[in-house]
Amino acid sequence: MTLNERIQHFILLLSFIVLIITGFALKYPEALWVQAFRNVFGENAFEWRGDVHRIAGVFLIGVSVYHIFYLIFSGRGREFMRDMWIKKKDITEMIDTFKYYLGKKEDKPRFGRFSYIEKIEYFAVYWGNFTMVLTGIFLWFENIFLPVITPAGMEIATAIHFYEAILASLAILFWHFYFVIYNPDVYPMNKAWLTGYISRHQMENEHPRWLDELENAESKKQNGADNSENVNELSESEKEKLSKDDSTQL
Amino acid sequence: MHLLKNIAVISSSVILIVSVLISADRYSISSSKSAEVCLSCHEDESLTMEKGGKTISIYVNPAEYQNSVHAGADCADCHLGYNPDEIPHSKSIQKVNCGSCHDDTKGLENSVHSKVNCADCHSKHGIKPVKEIAENQTESCLGCHKGKSIRQFSTSIHNKKNTGCNGCHSGGHDVKNIQKQEVTTVCGKCHSESKMKFSNSIHTTLTKAGNKITPICTDCHGSHQILTSKYSIESEACLKCHLDEKQFPGESKGSAKFVAEYKTSIHAGLKGETESAGCTDCHGNHMIKDPNDPGSSVSRYKLTETCAKCHREIAEEFKKSSHGKALNDKNISAPTCVSCHNEHSIKSVPFSNELSKLNQVETCLKCHEEGKLPYKNYKGEEELISNYKDSYHYKALQEGKFDAATCSDCHGAHSMAKFDDPNSHVYKKNIAMTCGKSNCHTKELSEFEGSVHNISIMKNENSDAPTCTNCHGNHQILNKDETGNRIASSKGVIQLCSDCHNSVELNEKYDLPTGRTSSYLDSYHGLAVRGGSKLAADCGSCHGNHDIKASTDSASSISKNNLAKTCGNCHPGVEATFFQTKIHIVDKRADAPGVWWVTLIYLLLIFGTIGVMVFHNILDIRKKAAERQTE
Repeated sequence: MTLNERIQHFILLLSFIVLIITGFALKYPEALWVQAFRNVFGENAFEWRGDVHRIAGVFLIGVSVYHIFYLIFSGRGREFMRDMWIKKKDITEMIDTFKYYLGKKEDKPRFGRFSYIEKIEYFAVYWGNFTMVLTGIFLWFENIFLPVITPAGMEIATAIHFYEAILASLAILFWHFYFVIYNPDVYPMNKAWLTGYISRHQMENEHPRWLDELENAESKKQNGADNSENVNELSESEKEKLSKDDSTQL
Repeated sequence: MHLLKNIAVISSSVILIVSVLISADRYSISSSKSAEVCLSCHEDESLTMEKGGKTISIYVNPAEYQNSVHAGADCADCHLGYNPDEIPHSKSIQKVNCGSCHDDTKGLENSVHSKVNCADCHSKHGIKPVKEIAENQTESCLGCHKGKSIRQFSTSIHNKKNTGCNGCHSGGHDVKNIQKQEVTTVCGKCHSESKMKFSNSIHTTLTKAGNKITPICTDCHGSHQILTSKYSIESEACLKCHLDEKQFPGESKGSAKFVAEYKTSIHAGLKGETESAGCTDCHGNHMIKDPNDPGSSVSRYKLTETCAKCHREIAEEFKKSSHGKALNDKNISAPTCVSCHNEHSIKSVPFSNELSKLNQVETCLKCHEEGKLPYKNYKGEEELISNYKDSYHYKALQEGKFDAATCSDCHGAHSMAKFDDPNSHVYKKNIAMTCGKSNCHTKELSEFEGSVHNISIMKNENSDAPTCTNCHGNHQILNKDETGNRIASSKGVIQLCSDCHNSVELNEKYDLPTGRTSSYLDSYHGLAVRGGSKLAADCGSCHGNHDIKASTDSASSISKNNLAKTCGNCHPGVEATFFQTKIHIVDKRADAPGVWWVTLIYLLLIFGTIGVMVFHNILDIRKKAAERQTE
């Protein structure tokens, strides 16, 4: 992960966590931790909660929009999207993985740069952001949207905003956190979101096909074979880092 | 001096002797004692003689003598032992003794006039007929009795009505001094009714018991200067004795200090005004009794009628009040007029009198300090009457805002009655009128009058619907923004409305819609208020406060046609909103089907997605654990 990507991820995670906290603080005002917030922030805690929620929402929208531009206008972004795009292979890999888990296959599928696990995660954020931003804007500017979507529509937007928040939180907790934290291979944490690198060992375990591809490209380059400029540059920088700490940038 | 005196004596003697000699020469004096003969000398006005060292006139007015009843008698009949030929006529002057002829003078010797000469009353030579003397007796008494007090008799009612001195002191020769113990009897000869009443009074009782300073008729009425009772008996007569701290010591009831409070009262007439009610107006006049005696006009159970002599309307009002009824039932703790107004130090109670408004609270609390109301609101907390002192009404009074309500403003002063009396100012149906009376909360009353709550109160006996006090409290009514005011915060308002609208009992009894509280609390407004928002709408923001009406009422703030406007109060721009679905979502499927479907779909989505994820991860960790074991 480049620094740019790590900053994107960091803004996303920060705004997400703040949104989760300030959002559920509204829904469960008598929860002990919400009471604690009120005790700390005093009598205007409720108003601050709302303001912080909206500010975090703006950050989330901002990073999302930036990400779209990043995907369209940067080379690395376009390569990222090519790798991330869902292909038929992902379906077969997922089925094979289940088979492997259930002992019906000897070997785990050899994943490329992004496995179905990461793709589900990534596109779930698209879905979640879309629904949350849309309903969130309805709720934010209720005086404008009430006549448009009617009070009944406002009630539906409120319901969606709430249930989607639960779905997103649980998905992060049970899907994302499993693979980057609880997973015994990376426990206590996959540090890629901080350092930008993962270890070769982890690379061999989780992205063996991508490791092969990278090494092939490396050797081809060393043999003076033609490569596209982008990949060339990328490979060069990666080669440096690879030799430094035996790890691969995701 | 001696020389001058001697010259005078000698010269007068010489003149006398010479003049007698001359006259003896001129007239031949017969042995018959003719008055004419005597008068021939004694008609000289300058005729004098010496007696006991003093020169006295021995002139006799001939006309007076000739008109007197003694005109037929000779001078010597009275002047015994006088020889006209001798000069002077008698060597040893003998006193005139009327008794030699008038043997009916015997009583005189024992009378107070025993040492008075007959002539002092009857005159010397101009003695009038008895009848004539009797008629002018008073005049002749006053001839000697020139004391100031006695002289005032001439202006007395007795004199005007021709009751002379003899009326009391007996006439003629039996003149008496009236002893103190005889006064009542003497007066009673004419004033029998007053005497009878007086004989039943505490004054007589005490006199009979040996008290020597208790008053008799004359102590109050005076003796000689008795005017008509209207003018003669002023409170001063009573206060003469009753202000004496030696006779009435201490500070308790009956003491001089206690009586002295009268001087500060409105009855005593302030700043030189005439007394409006004197001692006798309340205590009676002749038959004054101990106030503890049930027969006393100021006894506990007779007092109302006594005050009613002047304050008739107020007394009638009082008799109908709870206080008056309790008193009528001989309730020992029931108050009488004086319990609130005091006995002697009765002050005026003008409506705007700041002192009376504040002091009244203390007066009422003397008895009602411990008083409790079981419910402040519907099944709300207990309330003390003394909590009034924490109220905004009391605070405002203390700050000098004398429009603020004190006890009597709500309960009535004399007409106060308990809350369960339909005539009471604080009877549930009347409370709104009481709070909304002119100069008080008129605007709120006009709003409240058409509300569902007021309609229910007026329609049903013992309606549970709230009136003013059910929301604002009874005695401890606080100002809008005061801390501790339940309805100052949204949470307080919600709890207050929920006391009734979340009550299974009441919702069933009045067929009210259920789930108002829970549906509100789950809405954004409810969540925000629960979270501490000071802006979010509470019950009153939409339903109004005093003028709460049913949604079916087109004048209601929550009727379909007014709803957008009501919401627009907080949400500018939503006036064009078309409201079709319910605001209070109780049954999601019926009230908000869209929400119901979204909820259903999302629950399936959440359980499905997260379930698969968890399943996947369990398989993953299971495989990884197995791999590590084999390694």
